[in-house]
Amino acid sequence: MSEHHHQKKTPAQKTFELLSALLTDNPIYKSIFRTGYPSTLLKQMAVMRSSFYMHIFPTKVGEHGLRLRYSWCMGGITFFLFLLLALTGILLMFYYVPEEHRAFNDMKDLRFMVPFGVILRNMHRWAAHAMVLAVMLHMMRVFYTGSYKAPRQLNWVVGVLLLLFTLLLSFTGYLLPWDQLGFWAVTVGTNMASASPLVGYEGPFHELLGVQVDNDIRFAIIGGTRIGPNALVRAYVWHCVGIPLVATLLMVFHFWRIRKDGFSGPL
Amino acid sequence: MADENLSRRRFFNLVGWGSMLAFFGGVGGAAAKFFYPGVLYEPRSTFNAGKPEEYVAPSGKEKVVVDERWKKNQRVWILRNDKGIYGLVGVCTHLGCTPNWFPSEGLFKCPCHGSIFNVEGEPIGGPAPEPLYRPKISLAPDGSMIVTTGLLGIRRANLQAVKKYADVYFHDDEKAYITQPPYFLPLKA
Repeated sequence: MSEHHHQKKTPAQKTFELLSALLTDNPIYKSIFRTGYPSTLLKQMAVMRSSFYMHIFPTKVGEHGLRLRYSWCMGGITFFLFLLLALTGILLMFYYVPEEHRAFNDMKDLRFMVPFGVILRNMHRWAAHAMVLAVMLHMMRVFYTGSYKAPRQLNWVVGVLLLLFTLLLSFTGYLLPWDQLGFWAVTVGTNMASASPLVGYEGPFHELLGVQVDNDIRFAIIGGTRIGPNALVRAYVWHCVGIPLVATLLMVFHFWRIRKDGFSGPL
Repeated sequence: MADENLSRRRFFNLVGWGSMLAFFGGVGGAAAKFFYPGVLYEPRSTFNAGKPEEYVAPSGKEKVVVDERWKKNQRVWILRNDKGIYGLVGVCTHLGCTPNWFPSEGLFKCPCHGSIFNVEGEPIGGPAPEPLYRPKISLAPDGSMIVTTGLLGIRRANLQAVKKYADVYFHDDEKAYITQPPYFLPLKA
């Protein structure tokens, strides 16, 4: 090694060192990456710990955590589908207006008149179906590998909440095309809420609170006594803002717990 | 403070936490109240359905004529038989879809889960647990019919009196009730 140090540097080496110094010896690079080139294991771990962008990942991953033989990392696929749905959903929002006379026509325009609209809409639609399936497969993997057991009980509970929010996203998205299928499906689905105890107008004990058709829980959900323009706007806002926001917060917590608890085994 | 157990520190603790609870309770209540709209732009639950003569009387073998002109906006069918006029609310008693009228079979069938109702509104098949509701029908001074649905109008069959046997769903008491005004408008033949 010592002989190597005494060797004269080639012009190529000199150029490389100059260029890398240009790239790394400045405040911008250092404020983003903090550490220099991570040549040792300790430095590699420091990269993960000190970078905002990397800190969500574990500093070290066991080899068993990289084996994807059980369900191809179905939780990761779910997250990928969520990102895809957010992206395609935002693009759909450029053309779709949740108004009773426009919604159905906007959906039709997306299919026939908007450039690449049919691909966009179908990506959103099929990714939504796939996400429900992926969540279920992910939960099956977690269940069959016993990964819900201590110390990961809390993350299982968060995962069940994420399943609920995935289903709520599907349900609210169902109404948005404003077609017969979604309209009546949401009519039926929200009518079930009216059978809730105390707060639903057809549920047990509803008379104790004076709950009737125009002040029960279903009325608050659909903003009226029947599915109409109010219900469409409410479904839209919950679908595009409310539920994704809560789901994102839960996902952040979910991933942070995985990082803290470590991988249970092959994914 | 006469009460020795309530120290000054504890008193302010209770007041502090109490007011915080009241504040956030108020905010929560206001947030819940926000989701109950104060005005609805839905069709009125009371509407003028025109004169009884505008509705065709049954002829020949027909027992009843079902008129669908109000179905789309009011979700009400006006039915005329040889004795008079009555209404049926087009909301399936299972989960609230609108059934379809099939004249050839003389039945209402719900497309959502297959409930079947006869022209009396009795559920003769499928998951619907009770008969279709009936709206009030009264006569305005000019002789046109005022139909009232919703909370002020609908007659929901008294389930305690309901006995389901064969194709007959309504108990005699209920039958007597719904064949008189305001749920039935008798007409001279």
